[in-house]
Amino acid sequence: MNNLCTDVGYRSINKHGEQLCGDHVEIIEKGDNYTVLVLADGLGSGVKASILSTLTSKIISTMIANNMSIEDCVSTIAATLPVCEVRKVAYSTFTIMCVRDNSEAEIIQYDNPQVILLRDGKNYDYAKNVSEMGGKTIYTSKIQLCENDVFIAMSDGAIWAGVGKYMNFGWQRENIIEYIERLYEPNYTAKVISTLILDECNSLYGNEPGDDTTVAAIKIRQRKPVNLLFGPPADPKDANKMMALFFSKEGKRIVAGGTTSTIAAEYLGTEVCPDLDYLDPDIPPTAEIKGVDLTTEGVITMTRVLEYAKSYITDNECYYDWSTKRDGASRIARILFEEATDINFFVGRAKNPAHQNPNLPINFSIKMRIADELAECLKKMGKRINVSYF
Amino acid sequence: MNIFVCVGSSCHLRGSAKIVELLKNAVKTNKLEDKVTLSGSFCLGKCTEGVSIKVDDQIICGVSPENFDEIFKKYVLDQL
Repeated sequence: MNNLCTDVGYRSINKHGEQLCGDHVEIIEKGDNYTVLVLADGLGSGVKASILSTLTSKIISTMIANNMSIEDCVSTIAATLPVCEVRKVAYSTFTIMCVRDNSEAEIIQYDNPQVILLRDGKNYDYAKNVSEMGGKTIYTSKIQLCENDVFIAMSDGAIWAGVGKYMNFGWQRENIIEYIERLYEPNYTAKVISTLILDECNSLYGNEPGDDTTVAAIKIRQRKPVNLLFGPPADPKDANKMMALFFSKEGKRIVAGGTTSTIAAEYLGTEVCPDLDYLDPDIPPTAEIKGVDLTTEGVITMTRVLEYAKSYITDNECYYDWSTKRDGASRIARILFEEATDINFFVGRAKNPAHQNPNLPINFSIKMRIADELAECLKKMGKRINVSYF
Repeated sequence: MNIFVCVGSSCHLRGSAKIVELLKNAVKTNKLEDKVTLSGSFCLGKCTEGVSIKVDDQIICGVSPENFDEIFKKYVLDQL
């Protein structure tokens, strides 16, 4: 066992005018130590392609996760897929990436653009074995993993981006490698890397993609715990217990809330020094407490973090806001979404009498809902979440 | 003289940002930069009566853009 973990993220855009995506990504996680990602691209576009790719990725991921051989998967697919009336073929290309014990990756590729492996941010050429299965040419590779390895799989929509519009022959795999090598930062998550490449494809298509386009990434990284304190305990007598537990944990510490930060500072025998700079007019300024990595206001800031989290797990459209800004909400978002793999929430259930005023858009039930929803979103990002209430 | 402006949730929603701006301007116009230190405070414990400010040890609640000039004169200018 090592202290590494697997971060998975992907995004798709539909062919211009289509409501369904003809690409499909299926992810299966078995325990902590086995992740299977299948990216399938169905023939054509629209509903037919969507059915082909969904069936392909579901069947393969389920079979691989149950230790069936790749030969069995391929023959099952060939025997199962409905045959297209027009073209008389059943067809979906696929890429399979399996990560075992965070130490070895197996990559199986059929007709999608070749998976890109970035090792320390640079393209790494890995060995591939070629074999024939059921008349299909399949490439398989086994790769020993290093920390910060990033695997990028894509559907062919990615390399066709720009054809006839901004480039004669589209955006080749080499161009994608150059692009991502140039932008690469070690703190980028799999989702961020997928977003950066996909957004570039979309703009090369002039925002009217000529094909369904999908980018899926797997990043091998160190586990990193982060602790978040949100709200004072319901019973003031529990304050010391709550602080003792919070400050005994390993990892970065975030304190959100006015009263909460005062309690934390008292426990540490120091003071809260708030800033007066409104970096975002809607988000209250942050503060400094010696011994705490980030101190912010509570409900308003966390509401914004939740908005960012909801965006991250869907289209990630707010990425360019929270990834660069310096207000409290953006800084919490960066720590939770990018840095953390394991997050311990310490949620206090005290009711702030001032927040029960019906004229204010915040109240106790909203605060509890924010904590629950944020924990849910972070789980969907693949993080381990532990919530304790006080 | 130390002036703290509450920037906690309730006061923020009641317009702390505006009061901070007014205070910064008032300090500048009256050339009080050497005499007055402005800072934020996370919660002055008067959440239902914001926006709250604290001038040295005295807490003043219900500060708004409307009564700002009056309060600034009474608690800041007249005390110096």
